[in-house]
Order: sequence, then C-alpha cells, then structure tokens
Amino acid sequence: MFLCIQLFCILLFSLSLSGLQFAFAEEPFIKIGVLSHRGDSFTSDAWDPTAYYLTNQLPDYEFEIVPLDFDEVDTAVSNDEIDFILVNPGIYVNLEYNYRVSRLTTMNNLRGDDASYKIFGGVIFTRRQRYDIQTLDDLRGKSFMAVDATSLGGFQMAWRELNKKGINPYRDFSRLEFGGIHDVVVQAVVSGEVDAGTVRTDILERMATTHDLDLNDIRIINAQYHSEFPFRHSTRLYPEWPFSKLQQTSDDLAKKVALALFQMPADHPAARAGNYAGWDIPLDYQQVHELFQELRLPPYDVIGIFTLQDAIRKYWYWAVLALFALLTLSATTSAVIRRNKRLKRVQRRLERHYERILDSVGDGIYGVDLEGNCTFINQAMEHLTGWTKEDLIGKRQHEILHHTHADGTVHPASECPVYATSIDHVARYIDDDVFWKKNGSSISVEYSCTPIKGTGNNVIGSVVVFRDTTERKQIEEKHREHQRQLAHVARLSTLGEMASGIAHELNQPLTVINNYSRACVRMLESNQPMMEQCSDVMEKISAQAERAGAVIKQIRHFVQKDIPDKKAVRVSDMLDVVSELTSMEITRKHINLDIVMDSTVDFVLAQDTQIEQVILNLVRNAIEAMDEIPAEQRNLVIRTTRQQDNMLEICVSDSGSGMAPSLLEQVFDPFVTTKQQGMGLGLSISQGIIEAHHDRIRVTENTQGGMSFSFKLPIVDDIHHDDTESGNLYQRPQEIA
Amino acid sequence: MSEQATVFIIDDDAEVRDSLKMLIESVGLVTETYDSAQAFLKVFDPSRPGCLILDVRMRGMSGLSLQQYLNKEPVHPPIIIITGHGDVQMAVRAVKAGASEFLEKPFNEQQLLDSIHIALEQDAEQRGKASKLAEIQHRVDRLTEREKEVMELIVNGMLNKNIAHELNISQSTVEAHRSRVMEKMEARTLSDLMRMIISLRP
Repeated sequence: MFLCIQLFCILLFSLSLSGLQFAFAEEPFIKIGVLSHRGDSFTSDAWDPTAYYLTNQLPDYEFEIVPLDFDEVDTAVSNDEIDFILVNPGIYVNLEYNYRVSRLTTMNNLRGDDASYKIFGGVIFTRRQRYDIQTLDDLRGKSFMAVDATSLGGFQMAWRELNKKGINPYRDFSRLEFGGIHDVVVQAVVSGEVDAGTVRTDILERMATTHDLDLNDIRIINAQYHSEFPFRHSTRLYPEWPFSKLQQTSDDLAKKVALALFQMPADHPAARAGNYAGWDIPLDYQQVHELFQELRLPPYDVIGIFTLQDAIRKYWYWAVLALFALLTLSATTSAVIRRNKRLKRVQRRLERHYERILDSVGDGIYGVDLEGNCTFINQAMEHLTGWTKEDLIGKRQHEILHHTHADGTVHPASECPVYATSIDHVARYIDDDVFWKKNGSSISVEYSCTPIKGTGNNVIGSVVVFRDTTERKQIEEKHREHQRQLAHVARLSTLGEMASGIAHELNQPLTVINNYSRACVRMLESNQPMMEQCSDVMEKISAQAERAGAVIKQIRHFVQKDIPDKKAVRVSDMLDVVSELTSMEITRKHINLDIVMDSTVDFVLAQDTQIEQVILNLVRNAIEAMDEIPAEQRNLVIRTTRQQDNMLEICVSDSGSGMAPSLLEQVFDPFVTTKQQGMGLGLSISQGIIEAHHDRIRVTENTQGGMSFSFKLPIVDDIHHDDTESGNLYQRPQEIA
Repeated sequence: MSEQATVFIIDDDAEVRDSLKMLIESVGLVTETYDSAQAFLKVFDPSRPGCLILDVRMRGMSGLSLQQYLNKEPVHPPIIIITGHGDVQMAVRAVKAGASEFLEKPFNEQQLLDSIHIALEQDAEQRGKASKLAEIQHRVDRLTEREKEVMELIVNGMLNKNIAHELNISQSTVEAHRSRVMEKMEARTLSDLMRMIISLRP
C-alpha cells in the first residue's frame, strides 16, 4: 500500500519533470558529479583527466568534474546542479529510485596491476585459529567489525548474507564496531581485537601484496567461488560503480557520452588516473536493489517487504491499540455471543417450560390462527385424538377435527365456533360436541375457545381447550340408569309402605261387589224375583269391578320398570293417581286435602310415572309431618300455578310443625330421615327425578307454619287433544309391556 | 216388642253403604243409612231397638269414637265393626270396648247376616231384661213400708217367728204381711220372690 502510494507519487513527479525537459537546453558546460570519498583534490586529480577525455571526444561540450561529498550528492541531483554522476552502486540505486537517474556504463575497476573487474563483493573472515567460527551461524554472540554502516562492500553485503541466516548484526553480535577504513578492520581481526570482520573484496589480496597481511593468518567464512573473479569473497557479487545521467539530461548527449566512454581504451591515461580500465556496458543493478530491500535500507527503509516484526516495531502503538481494540471487540463479541447463547438457552428453556406446562395438562389444547390453521397442539391432544403435530400444524383444524356432527350431518366451517371466535373475538364454551379422531372414531368433548392477543393487542387467533367427555357421558348415563333403578325400587318400597291403604282401595269395590252379588242372589232365590232391581245391581257390580281394575292398573303403572320418555301429560291425571293412592291415609288421619289447579294449564312435558312418584312422596311426607298436630288443623294443599317462564309450578304444602333448620339443609341427601321406618331415600330420589326434568325441588317455610315443597315443569300449550286420553282417571291407557 | 228392630248402617263410602243396605234388606230387615257418625248421632234414639254397622275409618268421627260415645248410654244397640285389610290392633280395641262383632272386608255375607241376627237378639234380650226388672220394681213400689221390711227379712231367710220377734209384732201379723207381699209381688213361691229381689240388686 505504502509502496503503491509512493510509486504513484514518483510517477506524478516524473511526469511533471518530463514536461519541463525542453527548458533544459544543452549548455556548453557539462558537469559530472563524482563521489568524493577521499577528498576533493584527490577526486579532481583522479577524474579530471576523464573530463578532458570527454571534452576532446565531444568538442561541442566542455565537461568538468564536480566533487560531491556523501551529503552533497542528494542535493546536487535534486537541484539539477549536475548532468552526469559517478557514484558507488549503493548511492546509485538510491538515486535511481529517488530521482530516476539511469546508468550509462559500468566502470571496469582496476584491481591489482592490470586486472580489471566490473563486479565486486564482500569478504567475511576471522583469524585462522578461531576454529569455533566455521560458518555464519557461528558468528552469533561474537564481536564483529565492519568498515562503515553505509559501506556497501565493507558491511552491507555481509549483512545481507548474515540476514539471510537470520542473524541481525545489530542484535546478535556481542559487539558490532565500525573501523572506518578497510585496513583497520583487517588489523583488528588479525590482532584478535574482534572475533571476525568484513571488508570489500581484493583488500585482503592487496594487503598481502604489500605484506601488510599474511593470508594464512585468516580464514574466510562462507567462502564463495566465481570462475571470473579471483578474489576471496563471502557474499554475492555486485556491479561496480556506474556512470549515470540525470533524468533531465538529454538522451542524445547521454548517448554521445556513453559512446565516448565505451571507446576509451583500458590503458588510456585518463583511465589510469582514475585507477580503472575503461567502461563497459551497464550491468544490472537489481542485486543492489534487492540488497537494500532485504536489509530495509534507504531507499527501501520505509517500504518493501514489511515483516510482521517490522510492523510491530514501527507501529507498536497502533498494534497495541489494534490489539486492544481487537481484544475489546472479541471480548465484547464473545460476551454478546455468550449472552446470546444464554438468551437462546433461556428462550429454549421457556419454550420447553411452556411446552411442558402445555403437555402436563390433561385437557387437549391447540391454537388456531386467523386463517383457521392449527398453530400448536399439546401432548394431551395427540393422546386424545390420535392426530400428531405433523397432521395438524399448519392445517385447517375444522376439516380435520369437527367436520361432521355426532348425528352424521355435515358441520359446515361457517358454523364452527372456533372460527367464530377468531372472527368476533368473543370467547365461547361448547358443552357438547364431537371431535373426530385419526382412527375415524369420535369422542364427545366440551371445549372453550378464547381469542389470543398478540403483542399489539390485536387478536392473532384463538386457543381451544377441550376435554374428552365420552367417559363422563357414559358415567352419567350409568348414573341415570342407576337413578331409574333406584326410583323403581323406591316406588316398590313406597307401595309396600302403602300396602294397607292400597288394600283398602281394593277392598272397597270388592266388598261392594260381594254385597251386591249376594243381595242379588237372595233376590233371585226369593219367591218374587225383582228383575229390574237385579239388573241395576249388576250394573253397580260391573262399575265396582272396573274401579278395582283401575286401582290395579295404577299400581302396575306406578311400579313399572321401563320408563317411557317425557311426553305431554295431563296434570290432573297425575294428581288423581296421587290422591287415589293416598286417600285412605288422608281419610284415616282426618287430613283436609285441598287441590287447587291452575285452570289455564292442562298439559306439561314430563315423565308421568316419575312425577307421580315425586308428588306422592311429597304428599306422604306432608301427611306424616302433620301427625303431631290436632286433626282439625291438618291441611294439605296441592297447588299448581302457571309461572312467567311458561313453566307450571307444582307445590305441596302442609300445616305441620315444620322442620329443624339443620335438617332443612340436608333434606335432599340420601339416608337422611326423621322416620323410624323408611330409608330416607324418598326426597333424594325425588330430587334426582326433578333434576332430570331440569329443575330442583325447592323447600320453603310457610308463613302460617308448615313447609312447602315445589318444583316446575315445562307447560305444553299447543297440543292435539287426540293424542292424549281423556281426563278420566279410570280409563287411562297404559303402555303394557 | 212394640217397635221393629232397625239395622243402622254408617259408612262414608256410598257404594259400600248402598250395597250393605241392599244385602241386609234382602233378608227382610229394616235399615237406615248414615254417611257419618255425626249424622247418626243427630237422630240417635236409645229406645229404638236394632244394631249398628260401623266402618272403623271414616272422615270426621271414626267408628271407634262413636263406639266410645255410645258406651256412655245405659242402653244402646250392639255394634258390628267392619274394616279394611288387617287392622288387628283396632279390632282388639273395638272388641274390648264391647263391640259385638268385628268383620274384615271383604266379608262373607252369611257371616255378616249371622252377626246382625246375633246382635239383634242381644239387643232384644237386653231390652227384655230391662223391662222385666222395671215390672218387679213396679211391684216393689206397690208394697207398704212394713211389707217391704217383712219381704226383706223373708228374702234374707228368716222364719216368721223370728221376724215377729224382730219386728216386735205378732206372728199372725207377720203371716198376713207375708201373704200380701206374695200377692203383690205376684210370686207363687218363696224362690220366685227371692229371684226377683236378687235380680234387682246391682
């Protein structure tokens, strides 16, 4: 990235420079900047002859040498004070990089007497006796001396090789020193002042020639070999000094200069003066670039291959910040994730909790959305209906559950109470319906549907809670059957208790028949039979026989076991039966019986035998309640009254001594009785009968003393009289099984 | 027997009443019917001979109550109680209270008629006995005081001479009184006289 930006800037710069090129017309004085590393006079002495040579070769120009210190090179180039420049390869690549200078030729450096080389390198060495130092790796922790931190051959080339081995001279040596000049370094190593050192190639050979060094005293580390390069060296080899043109120098001039230099003979006096052997085609300086890149030296000190370590070193505060931010972020993220997980867990737990609650309920529960589709069901529902979640959820519940009534007729969805609740948002309770099971059978159910409100308080559907009432209905039916049997037993029992009264009822006609028939016989046996009188008597006998028969029919009716259904029955018929069965007792106890009938009501809807049983029971209770009071105060009233709700109230009142309040509360409980004989089932059974007629027997205390027992039966107004028998007590048609 | 005996039928059931009336009249007896005890009591005349047929259970005054009421009278017709099925206690009470007969419905007609005859005889006998005593008393009433004294002593078994001594009169005077007592009392023998006097004693 940095590299890109920099390249871009350079591109811009170069473009602007190229636009200015016309301004620099050729001048008669052509300045050649030369690195003056050994003093300006020395530089002038060495290089002026080359300037003369060029002036001679190119008479249109006058070349002159401008000695430049290390510090001055950059300024001279950037200010365009010179046209050409001659510097070492290290400076050259910087200039090439920064100011687009381009090499024209590479100098053939003169090494020794007549050998010239356009390449050079670095040599790393130690004293021969240092056997512990055999490879570059052995240099770690040792003291080391180089020429200068900026010296290419005297330090940087060796550094590159060390760097390749992972050795950082500034860090991994026990001591790093710079000797300033090559000879000092050699001396220091040989003398043992430092463990090892590095100098440019050919230095060792030159010192050996001048006897300043015995090559046997030293050993080369990481020795390399090159077929065309005889000097000892430890590093790669790099091109020698290049002769370069600045960017604004015209290509034409540069071409002429380059050509002139190429043509210079190796032994030309100018070359001898500069200690070189002519010029050669420019070499590739890429190796030098790579060296600087690898070592992160200028111009590659900022950009280039940027290791993580570099990044940390350079941007440690950013790194720390970034790390901190990263840590914070990751901590936050993990906290959020953890929180999220926990929330999800809580949500799952809540959902499971709800599910468990729903599933632990014995009633079936399911939800319905506004489209009538099932949204959820609980386990009880699966259990009760056999339908699974897969069968129901997302499906229209009506088509699955209650498409058909119990009687087999179609139950249209438009009449479905569940949908109705979804539409009008009114809760409903249905006490008798059927749901169809998966196996095709049905169950009796009672259920409620209640609208469900969403978050916005708007209704989003309804929830249905239902209960299987099949078993309950069977139990209820059993209970009713049981009640019927009990009532039957009670009637038999009542009849037993009333046996003497009934016998009296039968004895009356039998006695009369007996008397008449005997009288008749006597009349016939007498001498003057009175035929007319006998005929009258026979009529009377017949009437009495019918009376006896009627009593027996009543008894049979009263004790019959198979109870027909409720139908329209004449009120007076029922009261006649009761008064007939009790007349003996009423007479014997001198009770004043008053029957007050509402003349506007003839028929009620009832099961007559059962209602007769109830009234009989109430009348007999009333009779007994008056045992303790004087005979002349015994008043029994049976009254029927039309009520507003089209019901007929039948009330039996006595004038007895009343009832203890404690008894009043439990008077309808079974086995509660004040009688010495009797099971105490009469009122309990009577209450059961009236409940089956959808009412309850009410007990009230009369203001003038005594009690009233009353109940209501639905009035039947609209009746065809053909359907019912006449009111004659003795001619009631009976269903004889 | 100046008046004919009557069978009084008291029953609140008209059919029973009428059938009884017909049955009893078929054997030539005279009947009167009443639908309640009260109705009967309104016209009750102790001097009329006859018998009562009563249903034990009736509206208003029951048969037993009527029986108790009549028992207070010195003379009343014998009572035949009729009742429905098995009311034994009531039967015992009725008989103890002097009922002539107790019949259970439905009864045998001959049994009823026999009972009526027995009751009527009882009534007649009862009424005959009463008139005989009244006659004896009447004769006694005709005696003088002295004759009553003499008769008393005779009945006590004293001899004439003891009587004379007792009364301090002569023996011939005693004999004269004695013959007048026998004459006035219409007694043929001494035992006749004694039976008459003893029957008067309570």
